[in-house]
Amino acid sequence: MARTSLQVMRDTVFALMMRELKTRFGARKLGYFWALAEPAAQALILSTIFTLVGRNTLTGVPVAIFMLSGILPYKFFSKLLPQLTASVHANRSLFAYRQVAPIDPLITRLFIEFATHIVVYVLIMSAMAWIGYDVWPEDLLSLLLATLLLTLIGTGLGLMLCSAMSHWEDTPKVLQMVMTPMFFVSGIFFCATMVPQQYWYLLTWNPIFHVTELSRDAYFASYTTPVGSWAFLMATALVTNALGLMLYQVNRQRFISA
Amino acid sequence: MISFVGMSKFYPTKQGRSYVYKDVNMELPTDKSIGVLGPNGAGKSTLIRMMGGADMPSKGKIITDKNVSWPLGLQGGLQGVMTGRENVRFVARIHGYRKTHIIEQQVEEFAEIGRYFDEPVKTYSNGMRARVAFGLSMAFDFEFDLLLIDELNAVGDANFKLKSTALLKKKMDRTKVIMVNHSVGQLKTFCEAGLLVKDKSLIYFENLDDAVREYNDTYVTAKN
Repeated sequence: MARTSLQVMRDTVFALMMRELKTRFGARKLGYFWALAEPAAQALILSTIFTLVGRNTLTGVPVAIFMLSGILPYKFFSKLLPQLTASVHANRSLFAYRQVAPIDPLITRLFIEFATHIVVYVLIMSAMAWIGYDVWPEDLLSLLLATLLLTLIGTGLGLMLCSAMSHWEDTPKVLQMVMTPMFFVSGIFFCATMVPQQYWYLLTWNPIFHVTELSRDAYFASYTTPVGSWAFLMATALVTNALGLMLYQVNRQRFISA
Repeated sequence: MISFVGMSKFYPTKQGRSYVYKDVNMELPTDKSIGVLGPNGAGKSTLIRMMGGADMPSKGKIITDKNVSWPLGLQGGLQGVMTGRENVRFVARIHGYRKTHIIEQQVEEFAEIGRYFDEPVKTYSNGMRARVAFGLSMAFDFEFDLLLIDELNAVGDANFKLKSTALLKKKMDRTKVIMVNHSVGQLKTFCEAGLLVKDKSLIYFENLDDAVREYNDTYVTAKN
């Protein structure tokens, strides 16, 4: 019963996933609840603030939906990166089994985070629809493409951060320091048309800002982004993944023996 | 047959590369069980780990078409934070089993560690670890062609030693072992051939006694 390399990888990722799910959600009883409650609460707070300052709609979109369309992808991304960064290190003792390659735990966590994101997104938007909002995206395919590109960029960065982690264990702390201000420049509670044109350059370097912009463009018929660029996102995804895989290849031995 | 092709292993140290193996080229026959001999720090465990795929040669390759086990020993293999049962499940899964109940049960019965089977492995004693690790490697209903054992049965109590020896002997007509053990007596129980680690290389002896003699000539200097 010789298995192909791909089957071995599939079995390994399955085994890792069972293990990971158990420690992630099984240990604390409210594990699944927080995955939902955290972004929902954040959206609620932000939309309450904006409603209190006297705005009911932003660019013709209800405030709550506008916020959610920015918060949910950002939450996903800011959760994905630390998870991927630590993935190899957290599972290093399992590399004693030659079936387990260093990239397997990374793939496992990618699957888990992505699936959680989709479930959370659908559930929260369904809840909003139930309350009475019109939540159906105008262009679902473009929205999915933006999500996919965001995931790909996260994967590339995650691969790089794994390598960084193998050299320097404090990597997650630095990552956290960088990710905190990212919240304010990723267009979560504003969009490009609310910012004077001469300041766009402060934001357009940031791929996450492009993801938010393009997601809203796809989501809302009334919004057309003046800056979001698919080409920039695709180039970023390509470059980060190429670099990430390169670093992975170079550091393969370190992952296993460290 | 296990082929070593230009295999080198070194560790970077402050004084430069410290070679454990340097450019090893050999074909290791696997029709007999092999006892690995060498002094402390010669690279016996490293060899076992590399053959089991838990470590990689710095240069060159180790190639085989045999079904080789993971390195069974006290160092690696079992995950401290997972329970014995979870470890068994994990290993069964990465070997392609989806239904792990039978294997879990077999290991539980062999290990005889009672309710500790559902406690994290880091709470185990060395002997308990050895029981689970050994039971696990024996539980698969497909058999390994080669079992890599690194000082594993050195820690068990009398009961475990008898039990594991009996079980291993029963499997010996199909499964050969490559074993590291500092007790020559233990090696002689299981192995016919010997492999000596010498001069950052490997020497194979068809007969374990020859290997032991060579080992004594080379390394045991404190003769009375």
